[in-house]
Amino acid sequence: MPVKIVTDSVADIPAEVIKELGISVIPVLLRFGEETYRDGIDITTDEFYEKLVNSKVKPSTSVPSMDIFARTYAKLAEETDEILVIMLSSKLSGLYNAALQSVELVEGGSRIEIIDSGCAVMAQGFVVIRAAQAALAGASLDEILEIVRRDLPRAEIRAAFDTLEYLKRGGRIGRAAALMGSMLKVNPVITLKDGVVEPAGRARSRAKAIDILYDFAAGYSHIEEMAVEGAACPEDVDNLVERLGAIFPKERIYRSRTTPVIGAHTGPGLILVAVLGDK
Amino acid sequence: MSQINSVAGQDMRDMFSAATSWLEKSSADIDALNVFPVPDGDTGTNMMLTMRSTMDEAYRAPDNSAAGVAHAMARGALMGARGNSGVILSQMWRGLAQGLEDKESFTAAELAAALQLSAQIAYKGVSNPVEGTMLTVMKDAAAAAQAQVDAGNEDIISVLEATVSAAGDSVSNTPMLLKVLKDAGVVDAGGQGVYTILEGALQYLRGETELMRLRKPQIIVSDIPHVVSQPQSIAIDEVPYGYCTEFLLKGEELDPDVIKKRLLKKGESLIVVGDDSAVRIHIHTLTPGNILQFAAKLGTMHQVSVRNMDEQHQDFLEMQKERMPTTDTAVIAVAAGDGLTDVFGSLGVAAVVPGGQTMNPSTKDILQVVEATFSDKIIILPNNKNIIATANQVQSLTEKKIMVVPTKTIPQGVVALLSFDYEAEFNTNAEIMEKALSSVKTIEVTRSVRATKINGLKIKRKQPIGLLDGELIAVGDTNLDVINQLLSRLGLEKAEVITIYFGEDAEAEETEQINAGIMEKYPHLQVESIRGGQPHYSYIISIE
Repeated sequence: MPVKIVTDSVADIPAEVIKELGISVIPVLLRFGEETYRDGIDITTDEFYEKLVNSKVKPSTSVPSMDIFARTYAKLAEETDEILVIMLSSKLSGLYNAALQSVELVEGGSRIEIIDSGCAVMAQGFVVIRAAQAALAGASLDEILEIVRRDLPRAEIRAAFDTLEYLKRGGRIGRAAALMGSMLKVNPVITLKDGVVEPAGRARSRAKAIDILYDFAAGYSHIEEMAVEGAACPEDVDNLVERLGAIFPKERIYRSRTTPVIGAHTGPGLILVAVLGDK
Repeated sequence: MSQINSVAGQDMRDMFSAATSWLEKSSADIDALNVFPVPDGDTGTNMMLTMRSTMDEAYRAPDNSAAGVAHAMARGALMGARGNSGVILSQMWRGLAQGLEDKESFTAAELAAALQLSAQIAYKGVSNPVEGTMLTVMKDAAAAAQAQVDAGNEDIISVLEATVSAAGDSVSNTPMLLKVLKDAGVVDAGGQGVYTILEGALQYLRGETELMRLRKPQIIVSDIPHVVSQPQSIAIDEVPYGYCTEFLLKGEELDPDVIKKRLLKKGESLIVVGDDSAVRIHIHTLTPGNILQFAAKLGTMHQVSVRNMDEQHQDFLEMQKERMPTTDTAVIAVAAGDGLTDVFGSLGVAAVVPGGQTMNPSTKDILQVVEATFSDKIIILPNNKNIIATANQVQSLTEKKIMVVPTKTIPQGVVALLSFDYEAEFNTNAEIMEKALSSVKTIEVTRSVRATKINGLKIKRKQPIGLLDGELIAVGDTNLDVINQLLSRLGLEKAEVITIYFGEDAEAEETEQINAGIMEKYPHLQVESIRGGQPHYSYIISIE
């Protein structure tokens, strides 16, 4: 019985990869006024960003009820007795807590391990994908945990924003508040460090901000995984993938659309690079 | 979504109990917002403890009517109030209790009226009300509730939604009203506490108790730029804060107003609230003994607390360190003009040394700012070629580590600062910043002080002249003429961003013309014009 891997919709793993590796995804909830949508199920990414820009009501995101977690665990427990759950940074959301507390709602003797990834998007996604690959190859839960612990500190992101306004409004700005309030128009670049948003740079134009993302990836001595994601800017993503092709095989670069759950806190202009490797 | 038209006493109790738990989750974050010398080193903890006492009393009260619960809350708050913020909070509950007098339950309209009263009573309790504090937040919140009711809204949930949202906006606006907040780059801690309590109450009414268990209140962030400490304001640190003295005075026929008058000149941040049998006193004073002696004559003292605020201040500075980005390198810049000072401030310099062309600061001026800056590793941006040598002298006079990035112009200073890497080491950062200098060209437009001949140009006195990266290469009849000459000399095909800093003597109409001219000629460029307020140079233009 291979170990089963669970993550959340914030890991941004492309749908075909989720299917191929048999990963279970807990959908985060998106709320527009009184409407509630399950991320990736009830609303498409395009529909969401269109609403984000055009709707007067500001979206909010929330953790699904513990019941959803418990049912997911219970269903997997019928197929395996070892489950590994890898969640979004606990400092950005209550997902990890909910995942942890839901374990008590599950009966039976399955071993369920919950990991706080301390990261998000495809940086989290890489760790989940590699855990799932190891599981399919027959690794035990303890072996997979070791892989995860080794991978987590090696996964990093740089994300370029058009504005930090959405991040501030959502209360998740962390130390990147240092980048706010500039009197000049600047495009901020952030990273996640120990689970919290941290400033990573500033540029006077979007093109220069994207250069910072490129330079970040180019600074690695050894790259094992790479991903490029955008909220609602597919052309920028395409161009950046082309450029990054010079330092990493283009066909191995994951391309993903950033989940609306993140997009609601970043705005539609978000573009980011995630790398797993050694600097 | 369901609508609630009335809330009974029992529900009100549970609602504020949920709000207290909500506040409890945030109390450490709120503590971190404190700014000296605004009273109290631990606003979050104080408000949380005050709320606990408030709710303990509310659950002990036999009376389950809204009036009974509110009355018990007011009494519990007064008895257990901690710190300045706790005392003000207790007055808010007292106002609420007055507003809900004789009510079995309350409607949206009654809640709005009670909130108004709550704000009014809170203002009265403070001897010298300051805007930009929890008082303002409560006032704005209450006004929003009233506006909803006036518009005919009867649903308590949606009235409270508007109230919470107004409270949030008010919190984020507090730095605009209170300079100490702006200087520290934080919102008001007490205001944040009031917002959190209201938000907790709202979430309870919405039935989101399970979610409240998983989530955590968010601290509101203001987007107002951190303002820069000027050398003249740095010396203030010397003034001692004295002792934060507080206690509950019990007795007979006490008169809070008389006590307040007697204590008014004995210290700062005085609050005296209560009734004829119990009065809570809070004051920051250099002579706590005198205060206690005075009070001992009036009745018995309880919950006496005298704390050294200078010690608290040290703790506070330590805590501040944790909130800053992880870099330990500070950058200071030399600039003249309030606009340029704000530009550098908003980009995160630790301080600005006033100075520039024809007003070069001395080594001592820079040294003074270096010593007052809260970091041992400092990068200096001289932003003028005549100040680089002066800045280089500083290292020999201080034990701090100094690097001078030889910026010769304001635009060079700005690109250097923007390239600052929060993760890089001190030396690496100086290298990165110096490397960035080549990515910008600077145009400076000024007027000739005398007739001269230079670089093959014949220049008359007071004629507009233009410098490109410090070299005088253009002269013309108007500023616009000079700028156009210089721009056409630069290949702008590869440029992306043009920033125009107009000086204190630049005319608005001309600035407008220059701006429009550039945008028309070079439509691919991002053009931005900002008031620099600098003397001597009518225009400083950055081309990146």
